[in-house]
Amino acid sequence: MGMDVHRSIDSIAIGDEIGPISIPITLQRLVMEAGANRDFSLIHHDADVARATGAPDAYMNTFFIAGMFERLLREWMGYGGVINKITNLRMKVFNAVGDTVSFSGRIVGKDVESCQVTLEIWAENGTSQTVTASAVVSLPSE
Amino acid sequence: MSEPTWGKYGTWEEAESYLGKVIGVGVGVDAVELGSIRRWLEPKEFDCAIHTDSDAAKAAGHRDVVAPSTMVFSYGLPAYWSPGDAHAQMGDEPRQIPIPVIFDVPAPCTLSFASNIDMDFLEPMYVGDRMTRTSRLASIAHKELRVGKGAFMTQEDTYTNQNGDTVAVVLLTIFRFNPPEREQG
Repeated sequence: MGMDVHRSIDSIAIGDEIGPISIPITLQRLVMEAGANRDFSLIHHDADVARATGAPDAYMNTFFIAGMFERLLREWMGYGGVINKITNLRMKVFNAVGDTVSFSGRIVGKDVESCQVTLEIWAENGTSQTVTASAVVSLPSE
Repeated sequence: MSEPTWGKYGTWEEAESYLGKVIGVGVGVDAVELGSIRRWLEPKEFDCAIHTDSDAAKAAGHRDVVAPSTMVFSYGLPAYWSPGDAHAQMGDEPRQIPIPVIFDVPAPCTLSFASNIDMDFLEPMYVGDRMTRTSRLASIAHKELRVGKGAFMTQEDTYTNQNGDTVAVVLLTIFRFNPPEREQG
């Protein structure tokens, strides 16, 4: 219960950056994740099958990526925030075994009346941006 | 990031006859519960008490422990085996995740890649809630890309709880296509 953040709409500004948080991708972590999120597609835990589709190794599934974006947003917002939308999530490059994948974001919009904040969020694997998306969250007013 | 499709093969006319129609329903096999939340947080190293602790969740304005929003996908999944199903045999085809029901729509394509996903979270998920996913074919947009000619096909997945409340709406867009014909000689 290490989260001690109480982000309010008044305390943030357009251009503020959030994160990064990062996670090393090992086959063991992908297997733990598959067991937890129940996407058992072979490309996410069988290196040979993944390579046959052009990937360098087994790679993160969509649920894992979405969940890491949720962690990024939650750790920044604190318990009082609400995630409304994650949109236009595009996976551009594989996040594969051996990569340390970091997740970051930037505030691009703020509406004090509705208490809603719009962010660009993305993932990187050390050499390139691998996933991009937008998010809309609600923050408390104080 | 293309991969061989396991989709049904058919004509574009057949594909378009599915527009607006329900193309799949999945009833989540497991209710929201603390053990599955903990196992989901674990590989992400995600420390968040509103997902684990009733008092912390109530202090944040929830009526009890609330599940992570993006867990809705997992809670909408059916079982991979249930009592009464046949037992697996060595050499059986691996099980595929049953969410991209776009592949159940016939289309004249051999390859595919996931293009983008849009998620709209409308209601929280509490311990004991059960999700049902209802998928409709929302749109077909024909397009020629560098990788080949095909169409962006979008399914709209509506996740509802046991009370009929819409918890989340997810748009999943997949480009199904054929590679360009190779020049002869």
